[in-house]
Amino acid sequence: MDIVIDNLPFLLKGAYYTLLITVVSMFFGLIIGLITAIARLKGNRFFRTIARVYVSIIRGTPPLVQIVIVYYGLVDYGIELGALTAAYIALSINIGAYVSEAFRGAIQAVPIGQTEAALATGMTEAQAIRRVVIPQAIRIAIPPLGNTFVGMLKETSLVSVIAVTELLRSAQLLVAQYYVYMPFYLSIAVMYWILSTLFTFILSVIEKRLSVY
Amino acid sequence: MIQANDLSKSFDQHEVLKNISLKIPAHQVVAVIGPSGSGKSTFLRCLNGLEMITGGTISVNDHLLQATDNKKLRQKTIHAIRQDTGMVFQQFNLYPHKTVIENVMEALIVVKKQSKEQARVIASQLIMRVGLQEKEEVYPSKLSGGQQQRVAIARALAMEPKIMLFDEPTSALDPELVGEVLKVMKELADEGMTMVIVTHEMKFAQDVADRILFMADGQIVEDSEPRKFFEQPSTERAQRFLAKVNEF
Ligand SMILES: Nc1ncnc2c1ncn2[C@@H]1O[C@H](COP(=O)(O)OP(=O)(O)OP(=O)(O)O)[C@@H](O)[C@H]1O
Ligand SMILES: [Mg+2]
Repeated sequence: MDIVIDNLPFLLKGAYYTLLITVVSMFFGLIIGLITAIARLKGNRFFRTIARVYVSIIRGTPPLVQIVIVYYGLVDYGIELGALTAAYIALSINIGAYVSEAFRGAIQAVPIGQTEAALATGMTEAQAIRRVVIPQAIRIAIPPLGNTFVGMLKETSLVSVIAVTELLRSAQLLVAQYYVYMPFYLSIAVMYWILSTLFTFILSVIEKRLSVY
Repeated sequence: MIQANDLSKSFDQHEVLKNISLKIPAHQVVAVIGPSGSGKSTFLRCLNGLEMITGGTISVNDHLLQATDNKKLRQKTIHAIRQDTGMVFQQFNLYPHKTVIENVMEALIVVKKQSKEQARVIASQLIMRVGLQEKEEVYPSKLSGGQQQRVAIARALAMEPKIMLFDEPTSALDPELVGEVLKVMKELADEGMTMVIVTHEMKFAQDVADRILFMADGQIVEDSEPRKFFEQPSTERAQRFLAKVNEF
């Protein structure tokens, strides 16, 4: 127990990176996901196809493979990314696909009458989507997005393989130093659990806020 | 004000409107009645481009829409038509995430690019006009159906339409709430609004409309004054329809 407490600052720094990677990837993933969802639902054939292929590839390949492709694979083409940057990029692209599916379902769940009412008042299709459909879709999307984000938080552990010192790698480094496993691995498990719970809680607060009507 | 020439509309192979031609002058109140599936809603929705006509032409307040128009021209014309028309739906379709006053302000801000303050003043007046001044800050889910429909009318009026389209505005309402909506509509009619109303309220059609269009199988089977239509319908189809309605 003492060795955990002694090394707590180190572990907390790992937790900080886990959180940072999660939040940054979530942010860009949301943008990518929203654009992809709209492209799939409202885009012309070209954009629809691109969006569909993107989602299909991401969902059909392991995230670990995506991460090593971005970090190691791109080097072959002279693109050398820092480990953290590679983590942001790989995970944003990854989560964007899942977010787009959540948004797509949510946009489709908004009754068509909402769009028609907006169009009838003279809005363009784009205005109707932006002002009427998306705000309602976001609220519908929150529960599935919550699951996606908690999944994301856990997936960040994968970037330990490209030497980003997030939670898992912090523990691994300590294990290598002290030759004991359980205390460190148990501590990070607890930390993941706390972070997940915190996320779920924040999302439920947001959901409540948005459901004033 | 509205002129249709040989208007037709098909969904795939299914021809729902068949060569409809008619003129509706300004300030006229037209009631469209007919059996279910006869194409009343489709006809109304063709008038503001929610459905695109597949044959003929339609002109609304001098904006001419032709079935042969290319996509770009069509979008432009429909956009112009919608600036001059308001529509009220059977299911109200109020924006659930916006309060009553925000529902009415929305198009003023987004389409007319008015400031929030300007929009609020206009919206407030319209809400007063439909008798809901004390509900301005309430969300639609907290209103009765009749109140929601009156908000929907206020929302449509905010754009200062020259023509109002109503698709069975009272069909989703409990019977005791129908009156308050019809009252607002009657006031509009008295003020000289051009109105096309799809309705099953025969009494309202008889009292308020200047003209009855009776539709069956995608055609206007009868086009006459309310008195004549209700007392001496000239077609057998209309006679049967009225007999059935009177059973209830
Ligand atoms: N989007 C659509 N796609 C395919 N068919 C449609 C569509 N909308 C309407 N129809 C068909 O067109 C016909 C006319 O429908 P419409 O809704 O205009 O009738 P209506 O007179 O308004 O009926 P009701 O009194 O039940 O509202 C029906 O046979 C309907 O099935
Ligand atoms: Mg109908």
